[in-house]
Amino acid sequence: MAETLLSVGIDIGTSTTQLILSELSIENMASVFTIPRVSITDKKVIFKSDIIFTPILENNLIDSDGIKEFVEQQYKRAGIIKSDIQTGAIIITGETVRRENAQTVAKALSGFAGDFVVATAGPDLESIIAGKGAGTYSYSERQHTTAVNLDIGGGTTNLVVFNDGDIEDTACFDIGGRLIKVDGNEIIRYISPKVKEIIKKEDLDIYLNEKMNLKELDKLLDIFVQVLENSVGLGKKSPYFDLLITNKPLNTNLKIKCISFSGGVADGITKESLQNPFVYGDIGLLLGKKISGSLLMTALEVIPTVETIRATVVGAGSHTTDVSGSTITYKEDILPLKNIPILQLSKDDESTYNCGNLGNIIQEKVKWFIVDEEVQIIGLGVEGVHSPSFKFIQDLAKEIIKGLDLLIHEELPLVIIVKEDMAKALGHSLYEHLPKDYPFVCIDSIHVRNGDYIDIGKPIAEGSVLPVVVKTLVFN
Amino acid sequence: MDELNLKEMIKSILNEMVDEVSPVINDDTTKASISTIQSIKPQEVEEGFIPDITEVDIRKQFLVPDPVDKEGYLKMKSYTPARLGLWRAGTRYMTEPSLRFRADHAAAQDAVFSYVNEDLVKELGFVEVSTQCKDKDEYLTRPDLGRKFSDEAINTIKKTVQPNQKIQVIVGDGLSSAAIEANIRDILPSLRQGLKMFGFDFGEVVFIKHCRVPAMDQIGEATGADVVCLLIGERPGLVTSESMSAYIAYKPTIGMPEARRTVVSNIHRQGTPAVEAGAYIAEIIKRMLDNKASGLDLKEK
Repeated sequence: MAETLLSVGIDIGTSTTQLILSELSIENMASVFTIPRVSITDKKVIFKSDIIFTPILENNLIDSDGIKEFVEQQYKRAGIIKSDIQTGAIIITGETVRRENAQTVAKALSGFAGDFVVATAGPDLESIIAGKGAGTYSYSERQHTTAVNLDIGGGTTNLVVFNDGDIEDTACFDIGGRLIKVDGNEIIRYISPKVKEIIKKEDLDIYLNEKMNLKELDKLLDIFVQVLENSVGLGKKSPYFDLLITNKPLNTNLKIKCISFSGGVADGITKESLQNPFVYGDIGLLLGKKISGSLLMTALEVIPTVETIRATVVGAGSHTTDVSGSTITYKEDILPLKNIPILQLSKDDESTYNCGNLGNIIQEKVKWFIVDEEVQIIGLGVEGVHSPSFKFIQDLAKEIIKGLDLLIHEELPLVIIVKEDMAKALGHSLYEHLPKDYPFVCIDSIHVRNGDYIDIGKPIAEGSVLPVVVKTLVFN
Repeated sequence: MDELNLKEMIKSILNEMVDEVSPVINDDTTKASISTIQSIKPQEVEEGFIPDITEVDIRKQFLVPDPVDKEGYLKMKSYTPARLGLWRAGTRYMTEPSLRFRADHAAAQDAVFSYVNEDLVKELGFVEVSTQCKDKDEYLTRPDLGRKFSDEAINTIKKTVQPNQKIQVIVGDGLSSAAIEANIRDILPSLRQGLKMFGFDFGEVVFIKHCRVPAMDQIGEATGADVVCLLIGERPGLVTSESMSAYIAYKPTIGMPEARRTVVSNIHRQGTPAVEAGAYIAEIIKRMLDNKASGLDLKEK
């Protein structure tokens, strides 16, 4: 019998803002004779909002009230109330992340949209979410192949490479449909800083507040497309390749076999003829058309996507929530926990635990997380071992408690995330050695890395698992 | 060919064969060298070893020559312990997989026919009794006797075990003594620790030789415990001979429907680790005590 979770996804992008609601089915896939194995078995988008232009205030800040109004409106249209929302994510993407109030808006909105709706940002996560929403992830898994998704939005192109259902690599470039904006009379009203630099170097005849010169624009689009080809290892390297990298290029040794396109510009690739190329007041449609004639379409096998402009929002709504393993220990009253930074122990740290040194190592690393002389809640990531002995677990629990003594002193809840299947026994050991009724969560089967943040929701599936969102939170 | 020639030929063939092991002695120098060889030899033998073929992880062993998609095959293999991709010699298994098959089969048979180490039973302080089976053969052929005790055995239990406890833990050899030896040391403390978290504990552990699952019912009646938890060796297979199950029931009675038992199976290294299983069983027992039910009755609550 499946239990469902109502999940919301909200994408606040460079150019557009949208919202979707999706229903996640949670089921125990194990037989009745074994320990439950609860997983998300189905994801169904049940509501898609209108797509609006992201409201931006005159001082270049994100209009938080405008977005709140939009969310409220769409909830009403969908016929749901805020308290129905059980999980989900707000993702601030593309150039919007760079706006000054991005972080405050994300935090304010996540509380506004639902109790366990998390705020996310960062080009890596954006790439992954878009690739999952586009269906490229499941295609790579189904076909056992290596596929790259290019999510070409207003301000950025997010790349993600999936290999047989594994996330292999991500990249991000400052290439998008709204790097140049025009008004109804084809007068250029905006040029992004990096594009200005290219125009200057190439001496192109494109100027602010003048009419768009299509021939000159074509030269610029050629540069964009060449960099996109370069981004997946095709074509001759453009001199502007390094300039247009947002954070990092792809770094994988795998041979990419398939390619898919999502994001607003992806729709321009398939458009047959263009009545008015500037109908959206930007260069997106022309960029799409340029891509359709490029090496990207011929050198790799182009696979269809299930979503284009909605890929990121569908990804945020349907693909961010995960469930923990089902043998876990937690104190319910401390949930949900949000934005917990991860301290992942390295393999070396754990191999020395035998010498009784792990506690000291954790103590040292906890100091990294002291902000303004105040220690904060930390998610301690532990690898653990496969099929451990009881003694190992006892020792590990003692070392962890020793290592986190600063937090215990402040009576902060402990959050332990174990990779191997051992969280229940470890949790019981922690309970035994911690002060009576000390609040903690100990979960397993969740992958975390240093630099990640984790959100843990209230228990589902009769309390056997916790919904978990692992994310990166990078605001400039 | 005359007789003499034949004799010479056989002699030379024999010499050649023997040469490979120890040269024929025909002068003093070789005699000397042989004596040194003999004095060194025992040591050399001790240093050498035959690799243990059961150490090989079958999920990662891949013997197909020139596969079209090795990565894909290995990924598929990682989901199953089945013997896939081990190739063939003509129409048969190759030597190594064939030996491995026999080794695993032997381990399974040993698990059935061996007894749990007496020292382990003593070390863990179990109260040891036996069902009415006299030996392994009777145990295997008479399942009905594997669930019954003599009056004497029941008296031993009544004398040593506290009556009417909340929880009675039993360990039974079942069809795999190896399973008990591999898991019991880790699962018992984990179970106890988990129960303590809920304010429970358990006392003397009964160990049953020649044990079938329903043996727990008679002990349940004899001790009057609320919850009886039997940890028993599972019928071994070719994947593992060390798999253990927990059969847990609320106030079990002789002849009760099997549906009243809650089962946690596949407790072994490659399945559910013993420590995790112990912690999980502690929670099941708590739910049973709270709901005064087990098996399907508990599921419906």
